[in-house]
Amino acid sequence: MESTLLARDLRKVIGPRTIVDGVSLDIPAGEVFGFLGPNGAGKTTTIRMLVGLIKPTSGTVTICGYDLHRDFENAMRQIGCIVETPDLYRFMNGRENLEHFARMLGVGAAEIDRVAALVGLSHRLDQRVGTYSLGMRQRLGIAQALLGRPKLLILDEPANGLDPAGIREIRELLRSLAAEGMSVFVSSHLLAEVQLMCDRVAIIHKGRVLKEGSVDEMLAKDQTLEEMFIEITGGETVD
Amino acid sequence: MMIALIRNEMLKLIRRKRLYIVMGILAAIIGIVSYGQYRHLKNLPHRNWRAEIQQRLAGYNNNLRRSPSDAPWARSMRAEIHRLQFYLDHDIDPNQPTSPMFVRGFANAAGFLLLPLLVAVLGSDIVSAEHAEGTDKLLLTRPVRRWKILASKLITLWIFTTITLLVGAILAYLISAPFLTRIGWSAPTFNGFGTGTMNFNPSSVRQLPLWKDALIAYGLEWYALLTVASIALLLSVVFRSSAGAIGTMLASLIAGTILTRLTPDWTSAKYLFVSALPLPDYYTGEPPPYDGMTMIFCILLLGAWALAAITAAFALFTNRDVFG
Repeated sequence: MESTLLARDLRKVIGPRTIVDGVSLDIPAGEVFGFLGPNGAGKTTTIRMLVGLIKPTSGTVTICGYDLHRDFENAMRQIGCIVETPDLYRFMNGRENLEHFARMLGVGAAEIDRVAALVGLSHRLDQRVGTYSLGMRQRLGIAQALLGRPKLLILDEPANGLDPAGIREIRELLRSLAAEGMSVFVSSHLLAEVQLMCDRVAIIHKGRVLKEGSVDEMLAKDQTLEEMFIEITGGETVD
Repeated sequence: MMIALIRNEMLKLIRRKRLYIVMGILAAIIGIVSYGQYRHLKNLPHRNWRAEIQQRLAGYNNNLRRSPSDAPWARSMRAEIHRLQFYLDHDIDPNQPTSPMFVRGFANAAGFLLLPLLVAVLGSDIVSAEHAEGTDKLLLTRPVRRWKILASKLITLWIFTTITLLVGAILAYLISAPFLTRIGWSAPTFNGFGTGTMNFNPSSVRQLPLWKDALIAYGLEWYALLTVASIALLLSVVFRSSAGAIGTMLASLIAGTILTRLTPDWTSAKYLFVSALPLPDYYTGEPPPYDGMTMIFCILLLGAWALAAITAAFALFTNRDVFG
């Protein structure tokens, strides 16, 4: 079966520094994939290469069979994403923001109502985004990412700013989307959350993927994800 | 697709406060200037314009006699003498202020600093604000190639540049109309007093009705402003902050005007875009600061600057890495 996301040997070198050093990823349809790593490990740079914001020094990204570099428009049509913080236009309301991105995709008002209902934001759409809490902006960001029914959802720290009930709601939403065949790529530092949500995880440290496997496999060794994470990264954090 | 992108950009530009600030400044300045004109008129109830002009001519001639004839300002003074003499000979009051004349004069008065600055204010954050607010991460991860995004921003900026100029002209009429004579669109105007050469050549003088003359002046100003908008787009791409972009534009506009006055012998400065910017002035008969700056030269120069700025902006925008 064709992979939804296939990254081969991604490298990013800036000046003398190698920020990402040979990361390969393969995510099949319907999988929730967790991407873990301490700050400064190369998580965000990898995500930015996956969505075309940064050009890799070498390596390729293929999304549903489309090469990201050579066939940008078809490849990006399969992706919805939030990179780092869910920054939307604060001077417009939620609906205008969704309309803005819907116009870029060529989808209509029915699709806006659908995604707003999915993230539970229908009743707040006509308020200015500047008045939203971080949790609401996170939901609006996810709604924006879901426009046009992408095959791959890439979310950077989606739990940020959400309260426990909100986190649970989003987790259930992502699981149900995966059950319909969407692949979800989630980066997070909340290990317990990843344990609950993901099928498979990869741990990145100093630009390399040090460990990859299914959550069940990793937990079989009678170790929590947290213990394993500390063991692999040496408890090191770089801020 | 392009139409949808342009619609997005126009919507964002309208929803930011910047546009209203620009329109507010325009209205305020035009209001102050028309009030000044009105005051001026009221204090001169029995104007004898023939005497006034003859007096000015005598003054200019005196100055000219007392100074070396090759001084750079002597050239512009000689042109002004020719112009005033011509009006005198034809018994036309060149300074009779009317609303249509005020509108026509606005193209020249606002053309070299005010309008370019307002366009720079509008354009400076059209790309940089997306970066500052973090929204570029969403804008550039949709299935639209980057050159299309930037093209939609450039076209939007050109549209609002056009609107700013039109609003300026309309405000100049509406605000001055209560103070000044409202009619006179067909009054004769005289332009092109052979300023390229040292000798006055009456055959090069064009006589046009005011409305036609105004259309030409506004057309030239429009062209100059599109160039400013293109350069503002480049600055907005380069600086990623609107303060840096506005600052640079302001500095080059002011430096350009100072440069032409302080260092008239550095003739290479004629290749700077600011030297060619006051197109309506050169059309009206104001001599350009350097020799060899014909109208065609100025138009081609501005076009070359615009093209270079657009090329650089697209090369940078489509290739660069977007970090946080």
